[in-house]
Amino acid sequence: MRKFLPISVSFVFGVLMFALWFEDSESRSMLHFTLIDYWQIIFAFGLLVGVVSFISVASRKISRGEEPFYNGVLIFGALLMPTLAMIDGLQPNSYFQWMFENVQAPMQSSVFALLAFFVASAAFRGFRARNAQSIILLLVALIVIIGRAPMGEFVWGGFDELIQWIRDFPSTSAKRAVLIGIGLGSVTTSLRVIFGVERTYLGER
Amino acid sequence: MDSLITILATIVAGLVTFWTARLIHRGRKYHLREIAGIKALEDAVGRAAEMGRPILYTPGYGGDIQRPTTIASMNILSVVAEKTAEYNCELIYPTHDPIIMATAQEVVRESYSRVGKIDRFNPDNIYYVSSSQFGYAAGVEGEIVRKKPASIFLLGTFEAESLILAESGAAVGAVQIAGTDSTIQLAFFLIACDYTLFGEELFAASGYLSGNEATLASVWAQDIMRILCVSFVALGILSALFFPESSWWKL
Amino acid sequence: MDITTTISALLTLAVFSFLYGDNPVYKFAERLLVGLAVGYALVINWQQTIIDRLYTPLFIDGRLALVVALVLGLLMFSRFKRSWAWLSGIPLAAMIGAGAGAALPAMLEARIFKQLSATVAVFHDASGAFEMFSAIVLLVGFVTTLGYFYFGVHRSNALAVSSKIGSYFLMIFFGATFGYTVMSRMSILIGRLDFLMRDWLGVIG
Repeated sequence: MRKFLPISVSFVFGVLMFALWFEDSESRSMLHFTLIDYWQIIFAFGLLVGVVSFISVASRKISRGEEPFYNGVLIFGALLMPTLAMIDGLQPNSYFQWMFENVQAPMQSSVFALLAFFVASAAFRGFRARNAQSIILLLVALIVIIGRAPMGEFVWGGFDELIQWIRDFPSTSAKRAVLIGIGLGSVTTSLRVIFGVERTYLGER
Repeated sequence: MDSLITILATIVAGLVTFWTARLIHRGRKYHLREIAGIKALEDAVGRAAEMGRPILYTPGYGGDIQRPTTIASMNILSVVAEKTAEYNCELIYPTHDPIIMATAQEVVRESYSRVGKIDRFNPDNIYYVSSSQFGYAAGVEGEIVRKKPASIFLLGTFEAESLILAESGAAVGAVQIAGTDSTIQLAFFLIACDYTLFGEELFAASGYLSGNEATLASVWAQDIMRILCVSFVALGILSALFFPESSWWKL
Repeated sequence: MDITTTISALLTLAVFSFLYGDNPVYKFAERLLVGLAVGYALVINWQQTIIDRLYTPLFIDGRLALVVALVLGLLMFSRFKRSWAWLSGIPLAAMIGAGAGAALPAMLEARIFKQLSATVAVFHDASGAFEMFSAIVLLVGFVTTLGYFYFGVHRSNALAVSSKIGSYFLMIFFGATFGYTVMSRMSILIGRLDFLMRDWLGVIG
């Protein structure tokens, strides 16, 4: 029962979603939209479980004396946003939106911006010409970087055409093979899931 | 017409997978070639045990539980968790998705149970970080620099956070094994990590490591379908060159 | 230099302080970001999913089809009691099965059919010697990279050689991807520095 029920549910929803794929995209049925609502709703309940787990893990750390200040900041942040939302809602210019736009969003953008430094450090470490493969990778990356930089056209006028050719032919050829491989792996995995052979997610091997 | 082709292709894929599964079940051997990243997966757990440091495993921000790549990653997680349980090694699994968290908790719990180490299973180590991409990246990055894991597994669907995590891992001297279906991030993993499983290799790794007949049969089926793809292109090109009006190859 | 911009700027600097190494300022910013992001997701999901997609349509508009979603969602809470936790496998199986059902045709069409047709189309559309040469490069790269992903033991030398050539094409693809992405990452950093210099310090006019 503990395995049969989930596997049956997986089969039914799998076949249903497969069949719905062939609906005309302009006249999606009510069933299609209802199912999309289902996933959102299950996710939202899952999120509640996740947030409870998040807060309880941080609380247990505090009670064990593990970084009480920093774990307190975690809990404070997680509770602050719902509190602000309860005070004056989610509309523009609310406390909630202010906190998002001026505290959370700038920090998110800054973490994203850190990537520029990481790209540089990865390039220094990784661009060692160890073998033929890494020499090819290094050369192509340099051609693209120099060619796309403003100075590129001063170095050589043909960079644009060369980069476009690399992108359209040798690079695309490998990309297509990678995509097909991922497609094949996804197809066989999906078949295993639908027919109940794939049960790792239920804890089986 | 398009729908018919998709349904036919699904039937062909199903039949090929069923056929290879039957052959393997009847004792026919399918030998996977050696893939460096897969061998390294096994060694990485031993390394962490020797060093007395944890293992960090994260599936990336780009995927959800509905993505086949996440399922393949769960297969590998199940094997890694068994080994960490055997070696008494700490396994940390941060994720951006609470549904993935719930699934991973079940997978790891059962892995610990299978090797008789359920008492060592700590659900707090499999936790939800945040649904924001860079909140997740910052949280995992912080975990990496503070816990200094000996081995890091970045297996799943990654987006721009890939390099933040991989470079943080490199900075603490972790052995890093990455694998993803995100074509853009593969280049970053290749440069920053010790081993990288390219796209489909992630699916093959799950078959190889689990030793599961059905998963192995899938990998074999993928090889057969790959040959079908090449045959299709060969016939298509001949047709396009000698019968330019033909268009059957436009799927 | 208003207070809001100053807060955003200081938090940006706090995140950038990670480049100096892990430190208390970064740790504070990181925990605050994670906490706020969890709280934000909770609020948005509560409003947009639990209220707008479930509560209002089900309890106010009477869309009874959502009862199933409500039950599946509530089953996620079974995770809080160990002996009931297996019940959470049912909503998980529904999501995983549905994902597999949707992925199957999507992967076949986008990842396999489209790539195969596009490869043939290059030959169909080629006119002139250079275009035919480019098409042949594309075909060689495509076939050899597919050979690289052949997972069975390579029993023939031809497959081993093909796999080797395929790995070179893969490096061209990775090099080109890296080159393109480096440039976009730099522009994000420039955007953040521009915020600090222009909006906060007013150094740039």
